[in-house]
Amino acid sequence: MFVYEKKLQYPIKIARTDPRLAAIVVSQYGGPDGELGASLRYLSQRYSMPYPELKGLLTDIGTEELGHLEMVGTIVHQLTRNLSEEQMREAGFAPYFVDHTAGVYPTAASGSPWNAASMAVKGDPIADLTEDLAAEQKARVTYDNILRLSDNPDVNDVIKFLREREIVHFQRFGEAIQLLREKLNQKNVYYMNPALDM
Amino acid sequence: MEEKIQQKMPNPVPDGQGILPANAPLANPYVPFQPENPAKYTAKKGFVRGTLFPGLDLPFMGMVNKNEKPATPLQELQALGFAIYELVLYLDTHQQDRQALELFRDYVRLYQEGKAKYEAQYGPLTAMQAGTGGVYNWVNSPWPWEYQQEKED
Repeated sequence: MFVYEKKLQYPIKIARTDPRLAAIVVSQYGGPDGELGASLRYLSQRYSMPYPELKGLLTDIGTEELGHLEMVGTIVHQLTRNLSEEQMREAGFAPYFVDHTAGVYPTAASGSPWNAASMAVKGDPIADLTEDLAAEQKARVTYDNILRLSDNPDVNDVIKFLREREIVHFQRFGEAIQLLREKLNQKNVYYMNPALDM
Repeated sequence: MEEKIQQKMPNPVPDGQGILPANAPLANPYVPFQPENPAKYTAKKGFVRGTLFPGLDLPFMGMVNKNEKPATPLQELQALGFAIYELVLYLDTHQQDRQALELFRDYVRLYQEGKAKYEAQYGPLTAMQAGTGGVYNWVNSPWPWEYQQEKED
């Protein structure tokens, strides 16, 4: 089961509100490469993983991603506190505001609500772990893009942390593939699906 | 045992300069394995960099968090918790790295001490601790997403 710890993984204290920036950052809450999809991807893929290291790593990274989901939600929440009339009307924020007010909703910045089609569970460990490598890269680029768009130092401090975590996760998923490969047919790792055939 | 470990980690090349063998099987995804006993930042530095490992610290356009967080009880606990979690992910794929395991155990010991002190002063971190002072104090201490104007930092 999961037990809630009443603290963030990394401190967040955003002095200057900026609802337009919130409507961009929310993409990492519920966009195609966001933390909701990341946590569900890994925590769902783990069931069909054949070896203990792979079950462990997917559980642990998936759990960390839930902590990141909470951090991104916190950024959006703090950027939209004490909204002024003028801020509600801002071009970049009004479309989010009309649907969600100052609530935190899992949506892409471009407007599509979170969709399970943005992630995959194929049930084959090489395919799933290769998807995970790509997922970490896409999340990294989204954080790069947020750093390009944001001039808010309190937000950027946190985004730099989250971005670096994607790089570490990429490394660990790559190592997981290596550990898996060592257990497979050395001449042809695609001989069968170890989730089914071992 | 120690000798065996030493033999197991000929850490060959500086971070960032390794290459994969040219004769590795084709049509496979490869990420080089991080060598055992890699260089590490302190927990406090690793915390703001987002990784304990200098070899994985690859920032975007030179944007890095240069200042460590002030040593408030919460932030010290967060830094230790971060270092512990980073080592958990590392140990998942490097179960034989004795040095990493030792460091992990040291950080866990410090974390447990810090957690007890923190909870005594600021309230429970998990609901299970909510009745220890004779009152139910789970809901009234600040929730982590709230903006804390007066946060002691």
